[in-house]
Amino acid sequence: MINETLYNLIITIIKIIVVLSVAMLHVAFAVYFERKTIGHMQRRLGPMEVGPHGILQSFADVIKLFFKEDLVPASADKPLFYIAPVIGIAATMVSLSVVPFFNGFAIANIKVGLLFLFAMSSLGAYAVILAGWASNSKYSFLGGMRSSAQVISYEVSMGLSLVGVMIMAESLNLNDIVAAQQNFPTRLYIIPQFIGFVVFVLSAMAETNRVPFDLPEAEQELVAGYFTEYSGMRFALFFLAEYIGMLVMSSVAVVCFLGGWGLPGFIYSIFSGSSIFISILEVICFLFKLYMCMFFYYWVRSTLPRYRYDQLMSLGWKILIPVSVFNILITGTIKMLVQ
Amino acid sequence: MKKHLISHEPKVVSLPDEKFSFKNLLKDIFLTEIISGLGLTLSSLFKKPVTKQYPHEKKEAKQGFRGLHALARRPDTGLAKCVGCGLCAAICPSKCITIYTYEDVNHDKIVDRYELDILRCVFCSFCVEACPYGAIVMTRHYEYASYSKEALFMTKEKLLKNWDDYMSDEDALVYFKKYWGPREEDFVGHEGQAVFRNNK
Repeated sequence: MINETLYNLIITIIKIIVVLSVAMLHVAFAVYFERKTIGHMQRRLGPMEVGPHGILQSFADVIKLFFKEDLVPASADKPLFYIAPVIGIAATMVSLSVVPFFNGFAIANIKVGLLFLFAMSSLGAYAVILAGWASNSKYSFLGGMRSSAQVISYEVSMGLSLVGVMIMAESLNLNDIVAAQQNFPTRLYIIPQFIGFVVFVLSAMAETNRVPFDLPEAEQELVAGYFTEYSGMRFALFFLAEYIGMLVMSSVAVVCFLGGWGLPGFIYSIFSGSSIFISILEVICFLFKLYMCMFFYYWVRSTLPRYRYDQLMSLGWKILIPVSVFNILITGTIKMLVQ
Repeated sequence: MKKHLISHEPKVVSLPDEKFSFKNLLKDIFLTEIISGLGLTLSSLFKKPVTKQYPHEKKEAKQGFRGLHALARRPDTGLAKCVGCGLCAAICPSKCITIYTYEDVNHDKIVDRYELDILRCVFCSFCVEACPYGAIVMTRHYEYASYSKEALFMTKEKLLKNWDDYMSDEDALVYFKKYWGPREEDFVGHEGQAVFRNNK
């Protein structure tokens, strides 16, 4: 019994190490991908110097940040200042544990995976608010305040937009949601749940503080927003948290609307013999969809200006929430009629 | 009330009617404006970037570029063409040219020092235009940034060396003739105008 527990523990630790290190690498290349995409959309080249076509630029940046001086403002609330980036990074990294990368693989295959993700993304807002508060700087504070208001508003519509998926899949476990999509006629929930998908994408952009909803870090008004006073590795932690947050939100979109790791049916029948090969294909499929979502983030960033604060609030409360409630109503009605 | 010299009708800018229409509603719902914006950025993703990779990919300056200064050498004697008249120093808006001359035993005017502080120069090329002998020119060379002030303080010797380095090849001489050509060669004044000594 003890041996079995130990064995499970070791397996879990190995899984955590693998997922975290792979996620870190993905962050490095997501940043590179973003800079390249936005560069080319603005008819520039993006990073070109470090490595061939600048592919090692992110690593150079990390090394630079690692050796930078760790500054703490004299009047900052020191314990909160130290703990805020750790909360941010922990909350987003823990979210990775419930994401199924291929059939049956998740570090923690828990039954309330979707709720867990919501909880963790709300917890991430604490990092922003605490960082803003603890820095004792007006720009950081305003950034933190904006972030709290924004996250609270968009949390609601994000939760409601996924209720339609929950009704259809009859589960909160992410692996089960993907499996339910495999048995669904269209194989993707985006087709019946298109409204939910649009609401989710908009809310996810607001939740991760991305353009056009990047009010907490509006450069023109707030220097850098809530992490103005952070430097060196603490700044890097916020940066990492933001990008892992994007990866998590994109993977939720992939899992709940775009079929997750699900491959087209004929591939399963062709390669029915080798399960490892199918798993590899599933990971590739998942990552491809994930990077399409990430590309959409970058695409929107290079296109749209920032929303005004009142526009942000009215979009969240007056449009997205009623629309997602309407979506739940329709989905529930159809579900009842079908059964 | 003050009258404007150019009178113009007050321009009435009429905004498009904000009336409710089904078409506008559809436009709002399906975010057509945003989608057309996204289309624009996506199309420019596949266009060729305009960036020049500067240190790796150098662009030669166009002819007539106002780069590093140089003092022209006389082809016959190899000395500087400059006679020390001081017109360049007089016209220089940033007063960065200083000329020291003296009279030698043969009563010739000798240019002792010709100093040009590049850190103060505004690259207007007035000195080139003012020079009656085409003695000072601006080359196409532009990569001479330096950490020391001394390196950017040009003396007569350095300026002559610039001529040797950047203006001695044939191409540069063509450029020199065409753009900073000495006025002495084709200058025709009106009748009775004082002329320079070697203008026939």
